Amino acid sequence: MNQDAKPIIQMNNIEKHFGSVIALSGVSIDVFSGECHCLLGDNGAGKSTFIKTMSGVYKPTHGDILFEGRPMHFANPRKAIEAGIATVHQHLAMIPLMSVSRNFFMGNEPVKKVGPLRLFDHDYANRVTMEEMNKMGIKLRSPDQAVGTLSGGERQTVAIARAVYFGAKLLILDEPTSALGVRQTANVLMTIDKVRKQGIAVVFITHNVRHAFPVGDQFTLLNRGHSMGTFRKSEIDRDSLQTMMAGGEEIRNLEATIQGGNNFKQE
Amino acid sequence: MSDSTQLNPTSDERIKEFSKLRKALIRPELGGIVGTVAVFTFFLIFAYDSGMFNSRGIMNWSIVSSQFVIIAVGACLLMIAGEFDLSVGSMIGFAGMMIAIFSVKLGWPVWLAILLTFVMCISVGALNGFIVIRTGLPSFIVTLAFLFILRGLTIFLPQVIVRKTIIGGVKDVAEGDWLAVLFDGKILTGLFSWLGEEGLIATFERGTRAGQPVVSGIPMLIVWAIVLMLLGHFLLTRTQFGNWIFASGGDAEAARNSGVPVNKVKILMFMFTAFCATVFATCQVMEFGSAGADRGLLKEFEAIIAVVIGGALLTGGYGSVIGAALGALIFGVVQQGLFFANVESSLFRVFLGVILLFAVILNTYIRRIITGER
Amino acid sequence: MKRVMKNLLGAIAITMGLTLAAGAVHAMGHEKYILVSHAPDSDSWWNTIKNGLALAGKQMGVEVEYRNPPTGDLADMARIIEQAAASGPSGIITTLADPNILAGPIRAAVDSGVDVIIMNSGTPDMARKVGALMYVGQPEYDAGHAAGLRAKSDGVGSFLCVNHYATQPSSTERCQGFADGLGIKLGNQMIDSGQDPGEIKNRVMAYLSANPKTDAVLTLGPTSADPTLLALEENGMAGDIYFGTFDLGGEIVKGIKAGVIKWGIDQQPFLQAYLPVVVMANYHRYGVLPGNNINSGPGFVTADGLGKIEKFAGEYR
Repeated sequence: MNQDAKPIIQMNNIEKHFGSVIALSGVSIDVFSGECHCLLGDNGAGKSTFIKTMSGVYKPTHGDILFEGRPMHFANPRKAIEAGIATVHQHLAMIPLMSVSRNFFMGNEPVKKVGPLRLFDHDYANRVTMEEMNKMGIKLRSPDQAVGTLSGGERQTVAIARAVYFGAKLLILDEPTSALGVRQTANVLMTIDKVRKQGIAVVFITHNVRHAFPVGDQFTLLNRGHSMGTFRKSEIDRDSLQTMMAGGEEIRNLEATIQGGNNFKQE
Repeated sequence: MSDSTQLNPTSDERIKEFSKLRKALIRPELGGIVGTVAVFTFFLIFAYDSGMFNSRGIMNWSIVSSQFVIIAVGACLLMIAGEFDLSVGSMIGFAGMMIAIFSVKLGWPVWLAILLTFVMCISVGALNGFIVIRTGLPSFIVTLAFLFILRGLTIFLPQVIVRKTIIGGVKDVAEGDWLAVLFDGKILTGLFSWLGEEGLIATFERGTRAGQPVVSGIPMLIVWAIVLMLLGHFLLTRTQFGNWIFASGGDAEAARNSGVPVNKVKILMFMFTAFCATVFATCQVMEFGSAGADRGLLKEFEAIIAVVIGGALLTGGYGSVIGAALGALIFGVVQQGLFFANVESSLFRVFLGVILLFAVILNTYIRRIITGER
Repeated sequence: MKRVMKNLLGAIAITMGLTLAAGAVHAMGHEKYILVSHAPDSDSWWNTIKNGLALAGKQMGVEVEYRNPPTGDLADMARIIEQAAASGPSGIITTLADPNILAGPIRAAVDSGVDVIIMNSGTPDMARKVGALMYVGQPEYDAGHAAGLRAKSDGVGSFLCVNHYATQPSSTERCQGFADGLGIKLGNQMIDSGQDPGEIKNRVMAYLSANPKTDAVLTLGPTSADPTLLALEENGMAGDIYFGTFDLGGEIVKGIKAGVIKWGIDQQPFLQAYLPVVVMANYHRYGVLPGNNINSGPGFVTADGLGKIEKFAGEYR
């Protein structure tokens, strides 16, 4: 990774207060195109709040955002989407009853205008859907296949493919692997890798270091609204990350207190 | 890691190629199709020579079925969009009564009475939708309230105005009205005259219409039914708006997140249901020349049953207009056919319950295959 | 799966073949008469009609059928008349509950060669207009009027009319006739009580407690009379208030015996079903037809004439 490249998005000292609750107290990260930046942290660390700020759902109480070098104030999530920031939520915005083709183009239907009528261009939609699915390695019997027939990992992949197709420059994935089994997780990680190689910036939120480590280029740890640091892959190993995330320091101190300073484990 | 996408995607042995026949049959309308075949077979066996399949007999159940088709199309689109309208029956009574009051009691021209009634009822439909969206209450409850409100008004207004619960005399004032003919007229009358002359259709033996064919043409009611069915099917499957209907019913949150104007879609579907109810009412008032306070009673449930037989999912996001039309056809054929087949009319409800059960079981099985639901 | 599909296709093919082959086959046989009423399934008064019809069919050796719209919807009744005509019977016996709706189908039936007799609801005049052979029944307004005159001569000055089938215009004519016979303008003395017994009782009690000086109560049949009897028991007006009713029934007869009900107007529904069958059968066989309409009622039944009524209440009386 070229260290001189400009980050596609810079979040500087982001603070977010909800009334008297301080959800974020000064978190900064830079995300570069073509990189996967993993956002790690336990539940309640502030990950969700942070990415919602990134995608325009919340406005930061303090701090600023620079997108493609320019200061950005997203009035609403729609503006962020138009700018190229796409979020794939945990619940995916996929409707199992509908076909892959219809889901793929939901809200962005290809339209053939016949007089005043806006006809759904099924031929175009089906063709593109099959192409994109092939690119992602999903084999469909036909584009009419319902999303409900796909596995959880495949659905994630479709959601990611959809975001990429519609021009995402920055792709935020909110806990994509948390509900998946081992094999499906591997498939999703492969997809993330593919997307990254296409030059898209990926922000990968998870509380599972084992999932994050293979695909991550940078790792940021959040803990109770603070950033505990941003590390490049070359700077840290998986176990250290794991320990930091699990509050390793605190557990060691706890052990020390209980056992009177003995059994102090060396890393 | 080697790129697995180098593999030719069509040669994955795990993907079973379905036979063309299976593809043709595994569809939401299958329950409706099977039901229709079963019902016709039954009546062909038991009512073959009862007059059910002569020209008058066919007209008899075709008209009843068409009535159901009209309201089933509206109910189907609304159900796929994720909502119910229980006030349809009351709106039928209400619309008919308003037309009669405007034209007979207030003396306004019939076309004005009809147009005004359409505007009023579609507004009520929009109001239903608006309240559902704003309050977040289940549409079941909101439209149930309007079921009572509209029915009460339908009984109250004529009692206050003419001290009766029926207002008649519409046929006289509708004479020659240009809009009334759109609901009460008959088309293809020339064809039927010819058929009568050729002896292919029975003719009247006596009275003022001696010599004329007993079926003089296709009533506009049937034309409306066919038009609305085709329109509804086309809208649902071939337009962008149709995709929005599926999305709004499948998962409103997901649809909203994708930029689908869910609120607008739902309100428009409530308005369409109201429109269908008003079409039904206008045809009925024009045909019978009167409006009654008990018209349309319980029709909303019959519409929902037809829609469910036709394959729609009660919770929305899945269904077929053609299926709903078949469900409505089954309804009409069974209702009238039982009379032809000399079966006790109270057994109609038993029949209907059995058909409904089988259709829903079959539809659920089919839907699970299509959508991979477990 | 393949076998099921084959069977399905076979069924579809047979169905289509049969439908195409079905022509305008008209059923011709011995006499068949269909009686179409406007009554919903829930109206028990029509049992007498069903029984009278069946008895006449047996005695005259003709096939008879009873048809009605399950919810009492007159629009459905119109369809049933159309269906009945399409099935090609020798005759149709029907009520004329709303001429607006029913005149068309009845006229069409007559014109296609089916003889029609009007019974129960309607008037001789309307029956003639639709081309029926005759009218057998009790003209509603006249019966109400006769009852009103009788009540007036018994000293009644105010009344309540309990209407349990307000959606049919014939019901209003009864109350209207009663009011006119009494010489009172009909205002809100007629209440729409609905068909549910509990509701009827409550509404009657509500009216009487709001208008405690009401002299008389008129009910239009057992559906409204039975709950009214209970209401009068409860508010203590039984025996005090002048109670007359249309039609007879088990509870009504008991009420007459007990002195709570003054009289019942027997329109003798038995005759309304029985006579048309006899008249039509003889007409079709020998060409004879009575020159007149037949009034089956009103017969005022008081405590004196109860013997046979008690025996056959709800069955033939």
